[in-house]
Amino acid sequence: MNRRNLIWIIVSFLLSVATIFYFVNYPGGKMAARLLNFETITKAYQQHILMVFVASAAAIIVSVSLGILITRPFFSKWASIVDNIVNIAQTIPSLAILALFFTYLGRGFSTAIFALWLYALLPILRNTSAGIQNISPGIIESARGMGMSNLHILTRIELPLALPVIMGGIRTSVVITVGAAALASFIGAGGLGDLIVTGLSVSRNTLVVAGGILSALLAIFLDQVLDLIEDSLRIR
Amino acid sequence: MIKIKYENVVKQFPGSDHLAVDNLNMEVHEGEICILVGPSGCGKTTSMKMTNRIFEHTSGHIYIDGVDNRDINPIELRLGIGYVIQEIGLFPHMTIADNVATVLVEKKWPKNKIHQRVEEMLNLVGLDPEIYSKRRPSGLSGGQRQRVGVARALASDPPVMLMDEPFGAVDPITRARLQNEFLRLQEQMKKTIIFVTHDIDEAIKMGDRIAVMRYGQLVQYATPDDLLSMPANDFVSSLVGGNRSIKRLNLIKVEDIDLYRPPEVAEGDSKTKVVEAVAGDKLGVALVVDDRGKLVGTVTNTDLKRKGEYVKDIYAPAHDLVGPKSTLRDTLSIMLGYGEGYALAVDQEGKPRGAVSVDDIFSAVKDNE
Ligand SMILES: Nc1ncnc2c1ncn2[C@@H]1O[C@H](COP(=O)(O)OP(=O)(O)OP(=O)(O)O)[C@@H](O)[C@H]1O
Ligand SMILES: [Mg+2]
Repeated sequence: MNRRNLIWIIVSFLLSVATIFYFVNYPGGKMAARLLNFETITKAYQQHILMVFVASAAAIIVSVSLGILITRPFFSKWASIVDNIVNIAQTIPSLAILALFFTYLGRGFSTAIFALWLYALLPILRNTSAGIQNISPGIIESARGMGMSNLHILTRIELPLALPVIMGGIRTSVVITVGAAALASFIGAGGLGDLIVTGLSVSRNTLVVAGGILSALLAIFLDQVLDLIEDSLRIR
Repeated sequence: MIKIKYENVVKQFPGSDHLAVDNLNMEVHEGEICILVGPSGCGKTTSMKMTNRIFEHTSGHIYIDGVDNRDINPIELRLGIGYVIQEIGLFPHMTIADNVATVLVEKKWPKNKIHQRVEEMLNLVGLDPEIYSKRRPSGLSGGQRQRVGVARALASDPPVMLMDEPFGAVDPITRARLQNEFLRLQEQMKKTIIFVTHDIDEAIKMGDRIAVMRYGQLVQYATPDDLLSMPANDFVSSLVGGNRSIKRLNLIKVEDIDLYRPPEVAEGDSKTKVVEAVAGDKLGVALVVDDRGKLVGTVTNTDLKRKGEYVKDIYAPAHDLVGPKSTLRDTLSIMLGYGEGYALAVDQEGKPRGAVSVDDIFSAVKDNE
């Protein structure tokens, strides 16, 4: 157990609770109070976490499978092409992706999920293929030399060895998604971003600040939880 | 009986303009250790890896028990061949026990049988399962990892073993010990082994037959004795080196010669008794054994100057012992390091077998020539 992770997890959790209580008690006006109450904030959290969860889960499934696929000898020629696409796509700002999908798919939750998913794919894919490729060839060769089938080499050797690295990719991806999901409110997907967007449009600073702090703390919280998991998977 | 046969085997790697293995013809006899030796890049590893089809040969045939290895399913083929590679290749995420169990799991052995077998294998290579089976490879020394590599390859008792510099990455003393232990095992196992090394001393010590390779070609295939006395050409002569009498010391093991036995005393014996024993010995040494008969130390005139009533108060602890499988060359270097005119030999149980003196080495070389 890593003390530093635990402290951050507890601190970010307590700070979130404190922030919510503060702004519910001091919403800074009637208008803001309509959003700064427990019910609305809970709903915003639910939407936000659901968005992050669905987009990340879908991204994990697709990226890990794709990462495994491009590291098979048969597809090895594709690996660098996929890597390049991934690296270029990663440089497009998340807001731009949201805007793009908004134009073609319209407003709403599923559009947001789709855009977030696409953005979340990249770090996981890159780490999966890097994690597998960086395993020392001697390890794979001795597995093969002892008569392991390709499937067993994948499931018993490659995936367990790459798991900490894959987990690192998942962590990066989730943190990015938490941030990007705050922007998803612009296309009407709800979440903690609602506080910010509404706050901006009716110029109520308390809303903007509350939304900003809460989504930042959520990102820190999830980052530390995943770091803890990643750490426990590391091979010593 | 011929176990493995290479017939006009050629290997050319894609995109390479030279042959990594150039028309290899060689027969490996059942129950023998066949050593592949030669300079770096001469094709030793490649020849070995074609045997279990890690590399596919470009042309020619490799027969195992008379069956072309291309007619055997690669997984089946490999499950029947123990494999230790140059970098050992232990799985870092698995415990030592799981590493050793790899082939057994692939062969779908029942769990309790695997457990039993793993313990047996770890004991066989001198690692206490109580201490080591739950550790990971990172918690082991280089020598211990090599042992695990050997245990893993032996676990399913395959008739054939391929070993690529299995004792490469350890210090000379550990290496000599691992070699001795392996030779002792092989005496009982009688496996057919292809063993790669670029150390000619190791080749002479370990090999029943030695294949000298150069530029992908087999230069000479002979017993160590013949290789030393009849090198096929200048390359082989220079490989075995100018001083062949010294190399010959690699051929003779401690168990092959008659040993002089210095007097023995027990830990509990009185000092008077050991004074007599030392005085009456031609090397001026008495061997101290414990109640189970193990050699624990020695007493010489220097030790007699120490105060104490009993042997256990004055003896010097034993160190740098040689075993039955140690070569006279190992013995000579221990002797030189030890600074005495002799080295002490023990058997597998650690009981004293006697002393090897410089004279013994001289006469053994003379007889052998
Ligand atoms: N996978 C490979 N692809 C291309 N060429 C290779 C490959 N493996 C070996 N070679 C080449 O084949 C030749 C023989 O190599 P090999 O590994 O068999 O040498 P070796 O005798 O085992 O040397 P060392 O003592 O350094 O291990 C070398 O020229 C090497 O560069
Ligand atoms: Mg080699």
